[in-house]
Amino acid sequence: MIRDAAGRLRLGPSVGLMTCAAVIAAITSITIGAYPLAVADIASVFLGRDAADPVASMVLIEVRLPRFLLGFLVGAVLAVSGAILQGLFRNPLADPGLIGVSAGASLAAIAVIVLGSTWLGGWLAFAGEWALPVAAFVGGSGTVLLAWRIANRAGQTSVATLLLAGIAINAVAGAATGLLTFYATDEELRSLTFWTMGSLGHATWRDLLVGAPFMILALVATPWLIRPLDAFLMGESVVGHLGYRTDTVKKVAIVVVGLGVGAAVAVSGLIGFVGLVVPHLVRQLLGASHRVVLPLSALLGGTLLVAADSVARVVVSPAELPIGLMMALIGGPFFLALLLRTKVI
Amino acid sequence: MIRFFAVLTTIAGLLGAPLSGASEEPRVVTADGAITETVYRLGAGSLLVGVDTTSSYPLATDDLPKVGYLRALPFEGVLALKPDMLITSEKAAPQENLERLSRAGVKVEKLPSAMTPEAAMQRIERVGQLLGRSEEADGLTRDLRADIKKTQALASKRGFRPKVLFILAAGNHSVMLAGKGTAAEALLDSVGADNAVSGIMGYKPANREAILASRPDAIVVAESTPGQFNAEDWPGVMRLAAWQSGHRLVADGMLLLGFGPRLPQAMAELNQVLPVSSSVAANDS
Amino acid sequence: MLSVRNLNVSLGGTRIVTGIDLELGAGELVMLLGPNGAGKSTFLKALSGETQYHGSVLLSGCELTRWQPQRLARRRAVMPQRVDVNFPLTVKEVVRLGRPRSAPVNDLVVLELLRALELEHLVNRMVPGLSGGEQQRLQLARVLAQIVDCPGESLLLLDECTSALDPAHQQLVLELVRHLARKRDMAVLAIVHDLNLAAQFGDRLMLMESGRCVLDGRAEQVLTPANLKLVYGFHARIVHLPEGYPMVIPTGRVASQTAPSNPVCRQAS
Repeated sequence: MIRDAAGRLRLGPSVGLMTCAAVIAAITSITIGAYPLAVADIASVFLGRDAADPVASMVLIEVRLPRFLLGFLVGAVLAVSGAILQGLFRNPLADPGLIGVSAGASLAAIAVIVLGSTWLGGWLAFAGEWALPVAAFVGGSGTVLLAWRIANRAGQTSVATLLLAGIAINAVAGAATGLLTFYATDEELRSLTFWTMGSLGHATWRDLLVGAPFMILALVATPWLIRPLDAFLMGESVVGHLGYRTDTVKKVAIVVVGLGVGAAVAVSGLIGFVGLVVPHLVRQLLGASHRVVLPLSALLGGTLLVAADSVARVVVSPAELPIGLMMALIGGPFFLALLLRTKVI
Repeated sequence: MIRFFAVLTTIAGLLGAPLSGASEEPRVVTADGAITETVYRLGAGSLLVGVDTTSSYPLATDDLPKVGYLRALPFEGVLALKPDMLITSEKAAPQENLERLSRAGVKVEKLPSAMTPEAAMQRIERVGQLLGRSEEADGLTRDLRADIKKTQALASKRGFRPKVLFILAAGNHSVMLAGKGTAAEALLDSVGADNAVSGIMGYKPANREAILASRPDAIVVAESTPGQFNAEDWPGVMRLAAWQSGHRLVADGMLLLGFGPRLPQAMAELNQVLPVSSSVAANDS
Repeated sequence: MLSVRNLNVSLGGTRIVTGIDLELGAGELVMLLGPNGAGKSTFLKALSGETQYHGSVLLSGCELTRWQPQRLARRRAVMPQRVDVNFPLTVKEVVRLGRPRSAPVNDLVVLELLRALELEHLVNRMVPGLSGGEQQRLQLARVLAQIVDCPGESLLLLDECTSALDPAHQQLVLELVRHLARKRDMAVLAIVHDLNLAAQFGDRLMLMESGRCVLDGRAEQVLTPANLKLVYGFHARIVHLPEGYPMVIPTGRVASQTAPSNPVCRQAS
């Protein structure tokens, strides 16, 4: 029997299945790419022996491995951030992209790139290679806070207001980004192109070194949110009744989402819909308890992004599809189906 | 691990070198339309194993694998073509992938953007050297230089520097004006003409009123695909005296702005539509 | 157990609750009555920590605001008027949520409460699919799970916990609450609109009007035709049942209502 008494998939087999899927995605992502590698060569590289193809080690260790790790981490963080926001706002339509968090983070990152040589020169000199992820974090957290302020009046969270605020925030951030690109030099535009579409194609160990600490910090903090977020599903007041300081819970959630999404945007640009699709899928299959939703969203989000990235780099080989585009292709129709099935928002 | 890896890349470098030697012709990927054109003009088109999406001339490029946009070059995509050499321009990105390609044994050549006829000729010669076709390149540039000289001699007979409105048509309604620091301005300068629009940097969206106010002596439209610019959508342009008196040139953007081997042709075509005297602007009502 | 002294609550500059005093002992069940807008829910929110108050609220001798939140949650449970769950949580998960983190990880208490509230057969069902009455009993189960095995005294605050229930389940729920209050040293303060339920189960009834406590006493002292006419504005006949509590039978509305004449809380003795 794969379903439990509640009609959901059984947790044990599901976790097993998802872990298998993650392993398969990992193996696929490391073994398959535009550059053909013999299985023997791959084995040699990982066994530390000399491979017949001299570039095999380079392709595997310097390109595919960091790309896989970064993709998995970014997917996990985006999915967990989506799950947290959905719990916080008590609405399955909340998503870092929809409420403008990703746009805020990317605006801050683009501002650093474009204004780095002039207004923000001091910041760049001060923060070095951390300038981008930190700026994206500040932009991301600031936007969550703004959305929260707008959507919350007198203790009531209005979801309609939240989504409308998201549209407005996205529009403003988009316009500000456009304005920055207008003033950007040709040189700077070059570094901007990938932000809007999202890409893992340039992932290096350095990206991982810069972005991973933020993302891992965000993931490590999430277990603390499990019970408060479950309480949030009953309403904000219940969080307090169960002995949590509601403000503290919100602040932790905002910082976690800001950190995670900020860092993810800083290293991979704008990748949408992971945060929407994955938690929703987990909830439908395995229930809404955050004890299940948070860890399995991380697992499934990482798997999904890695799998999508494997497809993105093979399907139009030798060129590559931007991963953000791939996710929008998968997530867009999914979102529409979700809207059709949701009776009341 | 790192040391082991460094050893491997060295081996890769050593193995790569004899491959591109005299015995065998090198496999080449180009990422920049003008460079691709140059390779073909040097009769080395058969060396190409892949090009980027900005390389659409000559038509033979259609049959080659496309590695994507030169500002988003994929590492594996390029490497999968097993090239010995990647010839591209300064515009190429991301830098991480170029560095890694070079460490994977691909000779990555980033040629500077040419903004004068002389720089364009030198770039052709450089491509010739890289492909072992120096003689052909020297012969080609000798002819091209002569053509350029001829056009510039004609241009210098004009007693003034005409003001030219340079329009970039990139999409249905997307029309950009060329400003300072662009290849468009460099092209105008090469035939002794000035940009009619001042005060903008790079290519910026066109302001219809600014078009009317510019009162150019001639108009150049660079299209990204042929037939893209529909003058009827731009009554402001059609009403300009320069347009009505035929001092206009609508041509392919790669031809006009590539600064490749077709530069002399672009200069000659442009020079032809420039007025001999500055009477046009004065008659503009 | 609970000692409220001169409690005042203002929201947005408007005084909602004025000068309330209340003593609530362990095992005691006090029903909070009053017409709509009398300030009952606001008073309860002040006691449940959702609203700031002036005055003093001592729980086991310690001011409410100075309790450490997790320890307080072990001693005080609150059932809000409405809880909407639109995410697919199961009945068991919701009740588990009420269990303190320090409690043993088995579901004995959870299942026992579900059995007591006749929800055992729904234990694995999704909450959004339950009826209104089932959801209300479920929320009570979650709230009770929080304090039912707390060592020592505890406080239970209920805001209309029987409004969606049929009469049989109303009896079931209030009997359970009374039973637990006696057995577990729980002090219960419950907002009820059904005066007869209040009379049946309340050890004391507290009647509020315009943010003040106007009466606090036993059912037969509070539920008099004169008081009901004055505070609620309806005529009623009172029948004294052999079971020992009065029953209210409304007989019509008072044509034009006048303001209550005596807004001072008067301890009926």
